[in-house]
Amino acid sequence: MKRHIIAAVLVGAGILVAFPLFSMTYYTMVRTSTPEFCASCHEIKPAVMAWRASTHTNNAVGVVVDCMDCHLPAPHRTFDFFFSKTYHGAKDVVKHFLIDEYDREKNRQAAYASFTNEECQKCHRSLLTMPHNRGAMRAHRSVLYARAGYEKKCIDCHYDLVHDDKAQVMFRQYRKTPYQAKGLRVERLEMQRPQPAKGV
Amino acid sequence: MRKMPFAVCLGASLLMIGGSAVAQQPNFPKVKEYRIERNIPPEAQACIECHRAATPGIFADWAKSRHANANITCLDCHLVQPGDVDIAKGHEKYYGRSDLPYGESRYKVPIASIVTPKDCSRCHPDETTQYSRSKHANTLEIIWKLDPWLNKGMNSDNERKTGCFNCHGTVIAIDAKGSIDPTTWPNAGVGRLNLDGSKGSCTSCHTRHRFSVAEARMPEACDQCHLGPDHPQIEIYEESKHGTMYHAYKDEYNFNAAGGTWTAGIDYRAPTCAGCHMSGSGKVFTTHDVTERLSWETQAPLTVRPQDFKPFPAQTDWQTERGKMRDVCRQCHGDSWIDDFYAGFDKAVEEYNEVYFKPAKAMLDELYAKGLLDKTKFFDERLEVEFYELWHHEGRRARMGAMMMAPDYAWWHGFYEVKFRFANFMEESRHLIETGQKAYVAKDFPNATGNTERPKEVFPE
Repeated sequence: MKRHIIAAVLVGAGILVAFPLFSMTYYTMVRTSTPEFCASCHEIKPAVMAWRASTHTNNAVGVVVDCMDCHLPAPHRTFDFFFSKTYHGAKDVVKHFLIDEYDREKNRQAAYASFTNEECQKCHRSLLTMPHNRGAMRAHRSVLYARAGYEKKCIDCHYDLVHDDKAQVMFRQYRKTPYQAKGLRVERLEMQRPQPAKGV
Repeated sequence: MRKMPFAVCLGASLLMIGGSAVAQQPNFPKVKEYRIERNIPPEAQACIECHRAATPGIFADWAKSRHANANITCLDCHLVQPGDVDIAKGHEKYYGRSDLPYGESRYKVPIASIVTPKDCSRCHPDETTQYSRSKHANTLEIIWKLDPWLNKGMNSDNERKTGCFNCHGTVIAIDAKGSIDPTTWPNAGVGRLNLDGSKGSCTSCHTRHRFSVAEARMPEACDQCHLGPDHPQIEIYEESKHGTMYHAYKDEYNFNAAGGTWTAGIDYRAPTCAGCHMSGSGKVFTTHDVTERLSWETQAPLTVRPQDFKPFPAQTDWQTERGKMRDVCRQCHGDSWIDDFYAGFDKAVEEYNEVYFKPAKAMLDELYAKGLLDKTKFFDERLEVEFYELWHHEGRRARMGAMMMAPDYAWWHGFYEVKFRFANFMEESRHLIETGQKAYVAKDFPNATGNTERPKEVFPE
C-alpha cells in the first residue's frame, strides 16, 4: 500500500515537473522556428527579405517554404533536427558578439555545403512524372539514380534561387520567362579539375 | 450554290501558295514541316516559326535532331534570365517586326547566342562533369603555360584567332556596345572560355543544330583539329588498319546506337577515334573526358605519364587507364596481340625520350648556358626552330604513328625525320660550341606582335 502511494507521488511529481518543461520547450521551439524570429537578427534580415520576395513564398498553390524547411535536417532525423537547431541557435548568438561583419557570401557557400537532397525532397518528390514539363528529366534521373562518383546535390544546379536580392516580388505563376536551372555550378566543375603543380 | 465550295477552295489554295512562298527558301524545295502537337511554351513556338522562315537550315537541322524528338526546343538551351550579360540585344528587335510570323512583343524572351557546356549540363550533367576534367576543356590554360608563340608573342593576334584559337578556343568577351566581341566570336573551340565561366563547347564535336551522337562517333568529327604536321592523328588513323576498315565498311556501321550500347564487332567493325577514346566498350564506361584513357602524353616535349604532365596533371593513374584501353582492345584483339603492340609503342616512346629528346634538350640548355643562344625570344634563331620541330612535329608524328599503328607516320614522317633533324641540330650546335660563335638572331622576325599577357579569365589569381 505504502509503495503504491510512493509511486503515485513520484509519477505526480514527474508530471508536475515534466509537463511545464515539455510545454515550455515546445513553446520555445515553435516561437524560434518562424522566419520572423530568424529575421530578428540583423545579419539574417536580408536573407529573410529576399525569401519573402521569392517564388518559394509566392506561388499559385499558396505554399510557403519556411527557413527551417530547407536549413535544418529533415524532421524524420529527429535527433539531428533538434541538435542542429539548438547548436545553430547557440552558435549564432555567440558569433553575433564575436564577429565584426557578417560575410553573406561565405555563409551562402557554407549553407550550400551543408544542404543534402533530403531537405529539398521533403517537398520536391515527384520529379520524373511531370508529362507537361519534361525538361531536365535526364538530369533529375542522374541525381535520383546516380552512378558512383557522379552524386549531385539539387543545389548544384538550383542555386541563387531564394536569397538573391530582387527588385520586386517574384510570383511563380507570373514568371515572364520559364524557370530553368542554371546548370552545374562552375565551382563544382572546378572541384573536378586537377590542381596544377607548383612553379609551372 | 455548287460553285461556292470551288471558289472557297480556289481562294484557300491561292492563300496557301502565297503563304508558303513567304516561308520557302530557294535551296529548300520543300519546307520541313512542323506541327506543334506537343506542349511547348508559346515563346518557343515563336522561335521555331520565325526561324524556320529566317534560318531554314538551322530549323531543318534541329527538326532532324533527337532534341526535336524529345520536344527540346530553342528555349531550353538559349533562354537566359533578364539581366544576364550575354543577352543577345540585337535579337529583341525582331519581336517588333510585324512582317515576321510571331513578331509580337508578347513572345519576347531574353536569349543568348552562345550556348555553353554549363547550359548543356542542365540535362547532361555527367557528360559535362567528365568533359570539364579533360585536356580538351582546359587546353587554353595548357597552351598558355607551354607555348612560346603565345608567351613570347611570336605571332599576331589575328594569326592566333584564325589559327590557334579556332581549335583551342577563345576567351569570349562582351564589347563596349554590349555585344559579343567579334575578335572572340564565332568560335567553337574545345577549350573556349565562356562568359558563365564554363569551359569548352559541346558543339565542337556535336555540331549545331543536330547535336548528333552519330556525328561525334565518326572520325570526321575530330579531323578539323587533329591533323597536319604537328599532330596528324586523322592521317595516322586513315593509314592504320582501323581507318582503312572504317572506310571500307562505314556504310554498315550503326552510328545511331543508343548511348552506352554502341558495340564493337556488332555496330561497327573497326573502331573510330571515339570508339577507343570515348565510347563504352566491354566493361569500360563511356567518358566525355577524351584524354582519360591515355597512358602516355605523346604530344609533350618529353613523353611523360598523364599524371606527371606538369601544366595539367591528370587525376588518373596511367596503369588503370592502360587497363581500360586494353579492355577496349580486347573487344577485337587477343592478349598477346595487345601485349606485343604495347611493347612496340612503349619502346618507341623510350627511344624517342632517351635517344633523341633528352640529348637534344641537354644540348639546347648548354647553348643557352654558354650564351651562344639567346633566351629572350624563341624561333628567332635557327636552332630553336630545329629543336621545336624535333619534338613538336616529327617527334609527335613518330610517337603517335607508333601508337596508332601507321607505319608511314611512325617511320618516314616520324623517326626518319627525327633522325636527320637530330643529326643536323647536333652538328650545328657543336659547331657553335667549338668556335664559340653566337647563333644568328633574326633581325626581322615577321609579325611577332601578339599579346603576351596571360588572359586573366584563364589565370584568375
